[in-house]
Amino acid sequence: MSPDSLSRRSVLRSAAAVGLSTSLLTACVTGGRDSAETPASRGTKDANNPFGVENGRPLEVVAFKGGYGDDYVKNAEKLFNSRYARSTIDHKGLQKVGDTLRPRFVANTPPDVVDNTGDGRLDISTLVSSRQLTDLAELLDAPSWDDPTVKVRDTLLPGVVDDGSFGGTCLCLNYVYTAYGFWYSKSLFDQRGWAYPSTWDGMVSLSEEIKKAGISPWTYQGKYPEYVSEPLLTMAGKTGGPALLKAIDNLEPNAWRTEAMTNAAEAFAELAGKGFIMPGSEALSHTEAQAAWCQGKAAFIPCGSWLESEQKGITPDGFEMAMGVVPPRTSSDKIKATGLEASSSESFIVPAKGKNPAGGLELLRMLFSKGVAKSFAQSAGTLPSVAGSADGIRMSSALASVTAAVKAAGPDLVVYRHRIWYAALAKATDDAVGELINGRITAKEWADRIQKAADAIAKDSSVKKYTRQ
Amino acid sequence: MKRVPLHLAMMSWAVVTALPLLWVVFSALKSNKEILTSPWSLPSRPHLDNFGRAWTEASIGRYFLNSIVVVGGALILTITVGSLAAYVLARYSFRGNRFIYYLFVTSMFFPMLLALVPLFFTVQRLGLLSTHLGLILVYAAYATPFTIFFLHAFFGTQPTSVAEAAFMDGCSHAGVFFQVMLPMARPGIVSVAIFNFLGLWNQYLLPLVLNPDPEKYVLSQGLAALSTSQGYRSDWSGLFAGLTIAMLPVLVAYVAFQRYIQVATTSGAANDPGLAR
Amino acid sequence: MSRGLPGRVHRLRGGSAFVIVALLPAVVLHVVFVLSPYAQSFYLSLTDWNGLAGSASFVGLDNFAQLGSDGLFLDAVRNNLFLLLVMPVMTVAIGLILASTLKMGSKSRRGELFGSRLYRIVFFLPQVLSVSVIAVLWGSAYSPNSGLINGVLRGVGLDGLARSWLAEPRLALVAVMVVMVWSGAGFYLVLFTAALEGIPREIYEAALIDGANGWVTFWRITLPLLRENVQVAFVYLGMAALDGFALVQIMTVGPGGPDGATEVIGLSLYRAAFTYGKFGYASAMGVALFFGSLVFAVFALGGGRRTQTELA
Repeated sequence: MSPDSLSRRSVLRSAAAVGLSTSLLTACVTGGRDSAETPASRGTKDANNPFGVENGRPLEVVAFKGGYGDDYVKNAEKLFNSRYARSTIDHKGLQKVGDTLRPRFVANTPPDVVDNTGDGRLDISTLVSSRQLTDLAELLDAPSWDDPTVKVRDTLLPGVVDDGSFGGTCLCLNYVYTAYGFWYSKSLFDQRGWAYPSTWDGMVSLSEEIKKAGISPWTYQGKYPEYVSEPLLTMAGKTGGPALLKAIDNLEPNAWRTEAMTNAAEAFAELAGKGFIMPGSEALSHTEAQAAWCQGKAAFIPCGSWLESEQKGITPDGFEMAMGVVPPRTSSDKIKATGLEASSSESFIVPAKGKNPAGGLELLRMLFSKGVAKSFAQSAGTLPSVAGSADGIRMSSALASVTAAVKAAGPDLVVYRHRIWYAALAKATDDAVGELINGRITAKEWADRIQKAADAIAKDSSVKKYTRQ
Repeated sequence: MKRVPLHLAMMSWAVVTALPLLWVVFSALKSNKEILTSPWSLPSRPHLDNFGRAWTEASIGRYFLNSIVVVGGALILTITVGSLAAYVLARYSFRGNRFIYYLFVTSMFFPMLLALVPLFFTVQRLGLLSTHLGLILVYAAYATPFTIFFLHAFFGTQPTSVAEAAFMDGCSHAGVFFQVMLPMARPGIVSVAIFNFLGLWNQYLLPLVLNPDPEKYVLSQGLAALSTSQGYRSDWSGLFAGLTIAMLPVLVAYVAFQRYIQVATTSGAANDPGLAR
Repeated sequence: MSRGLPGRVHRLRGGSAFVIVALLPAVVLHVVFVLSPYAQSFYLSLTDWNGLAGSASFVGLDNFAQLGSDGLFLDAVRNNLFLLLVMPVMTVAIGLILASTLKMGSKSRRGELFGSRLYRIVFFLPQVLSVSVIAVLWGSAYSPNSGLINGVLRGVGLDGLARSWLAEPRLALVAVMVVMVWSGAGFYLVLFTAALEGIPREIYEAALIDGANGWVTFWRITLPLLRENVQVAFVYLGMAALDGFALVQIMTVGPGGPDGATEVIGLSLYRAAFTYGKFGYASAMGVALFFGSLVFAVFALGGGRRTQTELA
């Protein structure tokens, strides 16, 4: 598996398959539900050993060995061994976590730490519902590895705890942080004297200027309209604020018809209407569109922060790709201008029925330490979900721009859940966005269509509903 | 000179057929830059490294081997199981013979999509999801009806005298089949094996659903994944090289066994899964 | 199917142990992986099963009623019907024209048309390629800026005809259909050629003496003599037209787009089952597809028979 498989598309696809894999697992995983939950024994706790790890109790770690490798997990294991020298560590780097571990969860003999990632991973919601996971609150509230006065919780980037929470309980921690925005070539912009705009009006006038300069201002991954749905929804979310995010996620009536939504839709329809989009974009795959952008045929392209690794080998030298956030549509946006869409992936869990859960928690504490995270950022060229871990390393312009955007956004994130909860709604949205950006429907028709799809899902009793607090 | 218009007609469809294939092969020899800038030119020099990249980095090599394992296994199983059943159905009379024969043959006309959902759960319940064994069994199950249909006719028309002589010599039923009838049916077996090979090698829907683990992808599936979801960075020349690698063995098999295929085509081969599209 | 059954064969009696052992593996495979799934999907189509164990409840024909108001599914039905009406006719037409052209070459004294074996090999090539290879190939060929089609058009100065083939709602389905015709025509060419070889040369020679031209011999002689083969071709092609899953899933925008323009029943079924986890609903689509195919097959075979008797 390559790093680009972390793309939004595959994240969404895997998430969408949750319904499916749930069913596959319940049959076997629920077998363990009724067994007596005897907590594994722990040693004495102290400030240096907050979970009571017994020195000498073996630890079993199963890591996902994908595009980022598993060396960073091994780094944490080295730390673990330096403190608990008598504990042997059994490390397995796998690409198919689920198939190997499913029977072991059924038999109640899971390992102590699992990086549950990749296409063949265990279905998290099934693990949750069959109570196979350790509540990580203990870890989050423990002193962090680097600074005992700071809790682990406070060393993580915004949204990470939420991404790992189910019904208010944090059960997994994601290691890789992904931000979304519009990408451009910094060297090209510097050379032409263009600056990344801070408002949408600025974006429109800059696009005008770029067009005059003989470059297509925009391209997009036309074969997959969800690449446009993301920034469109982000723009609307910034205007409407948390109330809108909540209304959309909770399938509230007329949420899609709010002005924030239709305004954002109009903004994107305008890109097409003014001829800002590179001809042919609508039929390009993600790789084709991104390549055209790398060749300087278009100035902006929407994407997540995996873009740099996806374009390895095709980006010209001196291109200096950089990401900017979706600029605010109005001056009265409810979320501040630097607000960012971000999410995390690469999920670490501590199985509840492992033999050494204290050791598992301790290993995660070390994994989310600054030192381990920094070496990960260095080798993977991707932002880990530990705050400040990329500080001071030599960064590509792409990673630098993502890091800066994350820092500027602070806690102001735009995160929707409905696209993962209701795959059919995401499909309806993407179809409508494709029509919108090709000028075949208006913003109002766009909103009506999606609202209808949302209403249908709200009414459909066969679809499991989720609620956003 | 009367033939010029005929040749023109033939030639034009030949160009329509062959041009896209040649374009793929030529693109496989180009650099990425050449592909993007001039879709319509010859490669400046043959970039053979594209093939190496496709084979290793894009995992085409692994998919290729997976395909060989799965299709090879399924082929052996199908031919064994199918020829036995076809022989018995063609040469032995017993109650239910016709019923069983039609049970096999009618299923060739059902859309495979109808079976898809329950098939997925059947394979999953047997613990065979994402395993090559599971794929082999399912492939064999779906290739057997056509095999029986084809070989049934073959065994049915073979002279009975040889078999009778063998029985006289004290051969067992199994002995007659393996030592006498099977060798006699060789041309039929070869034809049906080629057809099954093509059909199974090219199968897409079954592996897509039953074999979701990228490590175990077969070629047809891996290639589609490269072009759609996974991205495989932005390496078109690698993708074209992968396409070429995927096309070559079937094209070679086709040209080598051309005669058999044309024979089999005329005997209802379009029923074969994968060939009837 | 009777052509598969031997006429009068001396059948063996006895050896029942051998019969059982020889049949058992094939029957077991068939029952477990073919028959039982087919049967189960009829049952599942009457439930609201979402994949969770024990959660299936009987809902009668609700799923089928829901299909009627599922816009995307109706798009799929419309598109499959379009393919069904147009694709087989085009494929058979091209196959027939090419086959009789080959035959025309061979009917004169100079023997076969020069290179006809080579032609036949080339025409058949797409048939041996995997549908996924074909889809990836044509997906690239249709690409608006670096693809083969627009490259050729621009190469011969027809820049105005260059299009985003798979992204324009009016063109996308036709573009998919062209690929189906491209990949299928060669197979039917070979099928028809083989059938034509069975037609005695004298018939054509007699027609030529009577002064019939190429077209007349085609309509009066070739086509009637090939009726049965053409009918079989229509059945197979119709089945293919009702499928189309792989091409659409790999090639098109979305896939199935833009906005349902290339959606097919197979894709809707696949998405309902393996993306949305609505297995009962997906099974209902499969059952609907099955009955659609059945109606088509009965119509195609029955319709053919009627014309045959009318002519007789």
